[in-house]
Amino acid sequence: MDPVSSAPQGSSASLCLRDVVKTYGADADEVKALRGVSLDIVRNEYVAIMGPSGSGKSTLMNVIGCLDVPTSGTYFLEGQPVAEMSEYQLAEIRNRRIGFVFQTFNLIPRANIFHNVELPLIYAGVAKSERRQRAEEALARVGLGARMKHKPNELSGGQRQRVAIARALVGRPSIILADEPTGNLDSKTGDEIMAVLDELHASGQTIILVTHEDYIAEHALRVIRLKDGMIESDETSQSRSMGAH
Amino acid sequence: MRFWIELQEALQIALGALRANKARGTLTTLGIIIGIVAVILTMTAANGLKSTFRQSFSAVGTDVIYVSRMPWVIMNDFFLYRNRPPMELRQVEQLEQKLRGKAIVNPSMGDQRDLKYRAETMEGVRVVGTTDRQTMVSTAQPETGRFITDFDVTYKKNVCVIGTDVRDGLFGGANPINQEMKIGRSTFRVIGVMEKQGGSFLGGPNFDRQVFVPISAYVKAFGGERHQNVNVAVKAPSQEAVADLEFEVIGEMRKIRQLRPSEPDNFSINKLDTLVGAFNNVMGVVLLVGLLITSISLFVGGVGVMNIMFVSVTERTREIGIRKAIGAKPHSILFQFLFEAAAICLLGGLVGIAIASALTAVINKMLMPASVSIPILLTAVAVSIAVGVVAGFVPAFRGARLRPVEALRYE
Repeated sequence: MDPVSSAPQGSSASLCLRDVVKTYGADADEVKALRGVSLDIVRNEYVAIMGPSGSGKSTLMNVIGCLDVPTSGTYFLEGQPVAEMSEYQLAEIRNRRIGFVFQTFNLIPRANIFHNVELPLIYAGVAKSERRQRAEEALARVGLGARMKHKPNELSGGQRQRVAIARALVGRPSIILADEPTGNLDSKTGDEIMAVLDELHASGQTIILVTHEDYIAEHALRVIRLKDGMIESDETSQSRSMGAH
Repeated sequence: MRFWIELQEALQIALGALRANKARGTLTTLGIIIGIVAVILTMTAANGLKSTFRQSFSAVGTDVIYVSRMPWVIMNDFFLYRNRPPMELRQVEQLEQKLRGKAIVNPSMGDQRDLKYRAETMEGVRVVGTTDRQTMVSTAQPETGRFITDFDVTYKKNVCVIGTDVRDGLFGGANPINQEMKIGRSTFRVIGVMEKQGGSFLGGPNFDRQVFVPISAYVKAFGGERHQNVNVAVKAPSQEAVADLEFEVIGEMRKIRQLRPSEPDNFSINKLDTLVGAFNNVMGVVLLVGLLITSISLFVGGVGVMNIMFVSVTERTREIGIRKAIGAKPHSILFQFLFEAAAICLLGGLVGIAIASALTAVINKMLMPASVSIPILLTAVAVSIAVGVVAGFVPAFRGARLRPVEALRYE
């Protein structure tokens, strides 16, 4: 069976969630983090997911990022049924389809910049010469070329986040998933990082942003608000539609 | 290809982790070092004992069987043998006649005597009465001078052939040939010196501290008519003929002793094989017990490695989460930590080998011939890697199974 044909309705969507429920714990202690979320995100969208803490946005982000599987409901990522995948297959999906950018950067402290960036390619089994070329490319795109031999702790926060973005880019993922990417940065550096993300979107990259700050969410063209594990609102702004096709 | 790239990464991480925690790694390694040194030394010592044993009996041929009153190896049934009649010279002569043309028969009898040459004395030296055929049933030959001849035996000549230790002890640097020395109260003329046989084996017979005299002269000088206890060496014409010869010797001896079919043999057939077999049995047990004891220290070392690997996995929980988030599969993480454990142990193994080699050289100088052989080294390397893999498996498995969401959340 072709997985694409089993995706409901919008098979053009690169990301398609239907009635996704995620519960933690069991019986009396059961916590419903997501209570039936349905969502389509198409290629080259720039989406911000917002909501107060406890609204389920982190859980939704983990499900979208294939770090976790939903308790019930379906999730198709480019036609592939993620909800039924094994740990091994999920690792493969994360490696090839998703680029993570974390609030705390999450670089590997002992490895130098270059090695941090090429790491996804190592797990993808890409040969050394190609790894080098693609890692250099990715670093150039985020404006960091010359500092490849430095360790993460020798860089500023903004630079570290650029490295993280380069690492997210290097595997040519379907979506870049940024979880509070400016949360640990001052506002000026945060703007610079957002400019990098805007640029990536302009060049055709799908970006999903998780944030609780309105001025960050304004960069996105579509804002989804969560409350108590459900979608409260889903608005597409028309004002900055230059990148959308 | 992909697997190979991941292995390289795992190896790189493992080495990086070792570099980052030098002191911890060194302390952990210590347990493995001690274990490996102990294992190597046990095996080397066992090998050394074996080769010493082989060397000290090298003159005794495997195609020779010995007829004696007692078996060489008596475990705990001495009372079965103690009432056996002695082996008498005249019985040996009968046996020799029966076997004439089929085998070489050489009788010998020996005892401890004191030697004296001028002011020099040696006490409790083994004096062996034998015949000219001694040099046919044993590979030992005279180094200088000559051996006892048929003439010496027939005419009961008081001549003797001495071992190298006796020459050094009595004569020092002087030429002993044609010198007259005292064995007990009788005077014997030295006619030859035997070539060196090599050291004694753990208090076993030292064939260099020995004097050969004609068996007839031995009886004349030291008596032994009443308590004759002759050992008979019978050399088969070929290795293949040993089994048949043994059968024939038993038959002839039973005839000479006039044993009825219902009576058991009242003599023993001894072979080097029996001795080697008994020795190997003992050595096998010693080696087994030794390895058992030394592997306890290796086990303790392994537990130390396991402990440190648990620490390593725990303190890198977040790193595991990051790696998993960007696509590391469970087996990638497993290999990363297995390699780290194996690398610690291999390092310990190599240092252990170096220390054990040095200690072996010392043993070789002071105790017995010992050398570290290639199979022992390969075993040591394999064992240390295996300890690492076994000790690292549970911690590595735990790391590999961490859920990425939880690992990323870990502070």
